[in-house]
Amino acid sequence: MKNQISDASDFTHTRIPKLSQLDTLLRCHICKDFLKVPVLTPCGHTFCSLCIREYISVQAKCPLCLTELRESMLRSEFLVSEIVDSYKVIRDKLLDILRQSEEKTTDPDPDSSIIEVGSGPEDSLIENDNQNDDTCDDIQILQSNKPTSLKRTYTDIASSSLRTLPRSKYFKANIPVKRSSTASRIDSMLKKPVELVPCPICEKYFPVKELERTHLDECLTLQSLGNKPISLKQTSHKDEPVLNRSTVMSSKKSIPTGGLRTTKSREEGEVEEEISYVDKYINSTTDTEHQRLPKLDLPSMTITQVKQKLSNLGLSTAGTKQNMMARYNYYEILWNSNFCDSLNPVDVSELKRQLLSWETSRKVHNIANSSTSIGNLMVSRSANRHHDYKKLLDNFKTDKFNRKEWCLLFRKQFRRLIKDAKKGQISRLSKNEPIQESPKDEQLTDPDLSNDLFEKLDDQVHIP
Amino acid sequence: MASLPKRIIKETERLVTDPVPGITAEPHDDNLRYFKVTIEGPAGSPYENGLFNLELYLPDDYPMEAPKVRFLTKIYHPNIDRLGRICLDILKTNWSPALQIRTVLLSVQALLASPNPNDPLANDVAEDWIKNEQGAKAKAKEWTALYAKK
Repeated sequence: MKNQISDASDFTHTRIPKLSQLDTLLRCHICKDFLKVPVLTPCGHTFCSLCIREYISVQAKCPLCLTELRESMLRSEFLVSEIVDSYKVIRDKLLDILRQSEEKTTDPDPDSSIIEVGSGPEDSLIENDNQNDDTCDDIQILQSNKPTSLKRTYTDIASSSLRTLPRSKYFKANIPVKRSSTASRIDSMLKKPVELVPCPICEKYFPVKELERTHLDECLTLQSLGNKPISLKQTSHKDEPVLNRSTVMSSKKSIPTGGLRTTKSREEGEVEEEISYVDKYINSTTDTEHQRLPKLDLPSMTITQVKQKLSNLGLSTAGTKQNMMARYNYYEILWNSNFCDSLNPVDVSELKRQLLSWETSRKVHNIANSSTSIGNLMVSRSANRHHDYKKLLDNFKTDKFNRKEWCLLFRKQFRRLIKDAKKGQISRLSKNEPIQESPKDEQLTDPDLSNDLFEKLDDQVHIP
Repeated sequence: MASLPKRIIKETERLVTDPVPGITAEPHDDNLRYFKVTIEGPAGSPYENGLFNLELYLPDDYPMEAPKVRFLTKIYHPNIDRLGRICLDILKTNWSPALQIRTVLLSVQALLASPNPNDPLANDVAEDWIKNEQGAKAKAKEWTALYAKK
């Protein structure tokens, strides 16, 4: 888990600790993750579109400087978006290289000289190789302390795997130039599991998955347009680098330490589409096809009206009015963030999927929090009481919450809790703890201390 | 329990790997949104040499909503009442999702260093503080020695 969540402090122990500042600057202050569809506020602060929209719906002010802020004031920042995206792609490699060179200064390893990123058209290829090499170096460093027998098994597997590869010639010819033989063999071992299949149209080799998923379609479209397939155009005689790149990418999945690479899928996408972040920025425009969803005054609408609004958008009309209102509001945030701010808006169906997963996660929360466990119990006791309870619970987090009635309603439970607490205190007293009797009593009867009390209450309620 | 937001995992991790001096915060085993917190009394304040236990709870809407923080150790302070509730703007109206557990706890520590009797929560303590600051501080010190022994 630790490695899946990157943090700016990852850089503090590398050769350039100050990179952690850059890393921090590219993160959203709300979710603490890298900015996703960044938007700029009039006060000059940047957040993820989704994060800030969600917050504005609660509090109409900037989280950083607390000045007033409305959704209509937000402007997308395409430049920042591309900076973040391009940074995310190189981050892991950067980190690996910087960490590695740090290690090297303390413990020079003759076998693992770093390959400087070369110049020329094969730039990204070498980088990719580099990344794999990093993992290999780790293995090697570990191994260098151990007897060579282990190494031999590795190389054996590696060389046998070489034979199974249809295009192993490339690996053999290319890698030893840069790497020692052991490393290159492990390299190719890691590349083993991908099966390459020729494309029937452009006759180049691709991993089956990639061929089926994207390449065939691309090839066919291009052909029907009368163009040459795109990959041919790009690399008239460099078909091997294309092949190799995709191999490296897909083989990463099979590397045991794959969890380290948080931006894996992104890189994969990049390879397939060959995105240039610069071009993307220069050609950026917002989607004008979709209009923004308006804010609606849902509370004043009737249920039928709300239902109609939802079904017009193709959303579910299940649940209470409150549920439907929450659904619309979140969908509106998703929609506007997607179609007004994002450079590559996703499909409406994807938005609906996101809405659904948001709702599911909320449901789980609510159940965990209160309603079913205590609620059901109340139903079984008396319907009337349940009603009171529901009514009270509605205001639980607001100032309107009726403390007195709540206390009355749960008098029995509170009493029992106090009794239990006192018992516990007596046993603790024997261990020489200071007495806190009078405040303790109130603590337990005070419903303001909702959360921990709730948990205790929950436990209590389940016992009988 | 629903999956924990990335942000909470991250904050927890940083609190453990890179703790704030004088402050510890550990999540509960059963509920990762519930933290057991200790804060050392700031030097130069009547709470010096005391170690205060607090509880911190991250509500479901965190970070859109402020964490709930409460003193468990008895403390004599104009902005902290008998139940340990804290009067601190960033925990109420001035909460911002740009804040985090770390900054909240630092603010609580700062509140110990500079009590504000003009915006009281514990009225009797605040009155005492305004009328007789020396006496109040002595009492705070006494309570610290009594309840917040390290």
